[in-house]
Amino acid sequence: MKFIIQRDKLIASVQDVMKAISTRTAIPILTGMKIEAKDHGIKLTGSDSDISIESYIPAESDGMVHVEEIEEGSIVLQARYFPDIVRKLPEKTVEIEADSNLKVTIRSGKAEFNLNGQDAEEYPQLPKLQTDDSFELQTDLLKNLIKQTVFAISTMETRPILTGVNLKLEGKQLKFTATDSHRLASREIPVKEANIEFSSIVVPGKSLNELYKILDDTDEPIEISVTNNQILFRTKHLYFLSRLLDGTYPETSRLIPDQSKTVLYVNTKDLLNTIDRASLLAKEDRNNVVRLTTKDGQTVEITSNSPEVGRATEEISAKSIEGEELKISFSSKYMLDALKAIEYDEVKIEFTGAMRPFIIRPVNNDSILQLILPVRTY
Amino acid sequence: MSNWYPKKGRVIFHIDMNCFYASVGMAYNPKLKGKPLAIAGNPEERKGIVVTSSYEAREKGVKTTMPVWQARKLCPSLIIMHPNFDRYRTASAEMFKMLTDITPIIQPVSIDEGYIDITECKHLGNPIEIAQNLQNRILKELDLPCSIGIAPNKFLAKMASDMKKPLGMTVLRKRDLPYKLWPLPIEKMYGVGKKTAEKLQAIDITTIGKLAHANVYQLRQILGINGERLKNRANGIDHRIVDPEAVNEFKSIGSSQTLPEDTTNEADIRQLLHLLAENVERRLKRKQAAGRNVQIMIKYYDHKTITRSRKLPYYIDKKADILMIAKELFIQHWNSEPIRLLGITVQEVEEKQYIAQQLDIFTYEKEAEKEKLYNVIDRLSQKYGKNPFKQMHGTNIDDQPHTSFQKDFLNDYKQ
Repeated sequence: MKFIIQRDKLIASVQDVMKAISTRTAIPILTGMKIEAKDHGIKLTGSDSDISIESYIPAESDGMVHVEEIEEGSIVLQARYFPDIVRKLPEKTVEIEADSNLKVTIRSGKAEFNLNGQDAEEYPQLPKLQTDDSFELQTDLLKNLIKQTVFAISTMETRPILTGVNLKLEGKQLKFTATDSHRLASREIPVKEANIEFSSIVVPGKSLNELYKILDDTDEPIEISVTNNQILFRTKHLYFLSRLLDGTYPETSRLIPDQSKTVLYVNTKDLLNTIDRASLLAKEDRNNVVRLTTKDGQTVEITSNSPEVGRATEEISAKSIEGEELKISFSSKYMLDALKAIEYDEVKIEFTGAMRPFIIRPVNNDSILQLILPVRTY
Repeated sequence: MSNWYPKKGRVIFHIDMNCFYASVGMAYNPKLKGKPLAIAGNPEERKGIVVTSSYEAREKGVKTTMPVWQARKLCPSLIIMHPNFDRYRTASAEMFKMLTDITPIIQPVSIDEGYIDITECKHLGNPIEIAQNLQNRILKELDLPCSIGIAPNKFLAKMASDMKKPLGMTVLRKRDLPYKLWPLPIEKMYGVGKKTAEKLQAIDITTIGKLAHANVYQLRQILGINGERLKNRANGIDHRIVDPEAVNEFKSIGSSQTLPEDTTNEADIRQLLHLLAENVERRLKRKQAAGRNVQIMIKYYDHKTITRSRKLPYYIDKKADILMIAKELFIQHWNSEPIRLLGITVQEVEEKQYIAQQLDIFTYEKEAEKEKLYNVIDRLSQKYGKNPFKQMHGTNIDDQPHTSFQKDFLNDYKQ
């Protein structure tokens, strides 16, 4: 195997593939990165058996040559050293050559590295998915869906199913839902063409976080295919396969209150900044509690109080407040996460009482929903 | 009169009840006075040990933590009594109430000892008079002897109260150190345990005086930061204040118990875990507190002891929750060898008024049911000040805690 490749292309691909490689894995060869050279381009593969990523660098695209002098072949390289070497090489191009004894030579300018490789035959075959059952989405829209929901997953292993994001595709509506049981985030978007439906698959939050980092902000399509235990995301040059979580995702739609007693309309940024300030005195080990009190038809008071530190109070004028008076305590962290995920200037917050979940949505837009459970103070 | 008080600095008493449990027993039954008496937990059971004893018993060699059979051997005429915690609680509360008549600056340390700061008590007389009056009053009204240490700080006061027992009164000023404190063997120093004493003796620090003049660097090497602190104490330096709030800073609440015999019987073990969790729940309830770390202790037949704990993302105070975590830890860590003693401790304990409970989407309905009630309380609180209702915490006469018993009492005198 041999090829000469543009170093920046190689760096980008290596970085993407590294997202799937773990130093702790049951199968030793998975600590390595597989490199395959074909006439038409180079393919890099990494996997920790939960996530597998393939990144493809075409020999030529849009009239630009990325890879030259290709002699077909494949090798597995130690992922612990390879990325740093590539990153620090001196020249714009890198030559990689593997001989029949699995010795790999990496050259760039006058720098030369000799590494021991492993036989690519020993690298496990990645499962190939049927691509019949698939649908397409704009890549940037998918990134948005991930960003607006994945932060709400649980980090606790006590309920493993909640460490994932629930995906639903029904009636050409795609919905992402995540909850750690203290707050819930969901986002829904229409999908143009879908020849599949699924109601309850759960993708590990870790997979979506990695996918988010790898994907570019582009309106180019991404193809999503689902089987009963895996999900595949595929763009022109990327193949991202993740295991699904076993188990049934709890039914969340019935948990969302459909009526409210107090409705607050407020500028998103104003509220976000006020809560951010108040949270300076809200202590993490005490749930970051801030308190919201409606004062009159226009004013809301945000306070925080730590017995040993002190107290913060700030009033904020709302666009309007409808319904009953309210005094409610909640985690400032959850509130900030939720407000940041809503990318609209105005929000509507619907409360149904101090001990019940409340809902944050953009005004006149039901596709984004953030739900937070309050904190009960004794 | 006021020249008894230093111009700068403080006057601190350490009050130490003499043989408290035994003395209370004698106060209730004067016939026991002058006789060798021991208070022992579960005298009829195998693990019964002497909790405390009268001076008459001590003369015969009876010591605290000694097994009952051994004490009986040393002192055949020994009278053994069950502890009566309600009596101790009452006596302790009465004693602390007398202290509040002198000053509000009181720091109870356990059921039978505490510090008071009388720097601002000139109107009551000089320190010796105040101490004498206090000692007389406790003896006359409660029939209980105590020793009082009078010193410019807590450490010296503590050392002083220990110098003369029973009914002692010792003044320990800094200028007295060379002849009163320094000749004492190092293991007599408060804050020096068996391990520390061994380490100090190994470098020829055998008296408190030698510690006072020891090399700080050397001390720091063998004892860390504590080495320097001990040296300061030996030189009569202790800046800790008498802090009435210190009592409230409980960090953990636990319960442990020895099994009647070493066992691998899971039914017995399960039963004990239930009992321990129940004890812990009761203590948490009494303090209106909850914790978010559960620790279990397993002591095996060969005295090998392990502790294992788990931190939780939320606070718990219910028996069921405590028991669940304790059982999980137990199953995970028990090596199947016979067990002698089990303990459950809830750590990272906070008073509920400082805890905010994050509600859960799958369970909030239960809490929400009480919402109306909370609203009413809230409104009434605003109207009438602090929560006019207190949750009924079942006060139980049989409420006799065991291990952290001594600490449980510290607040009682305020009620």
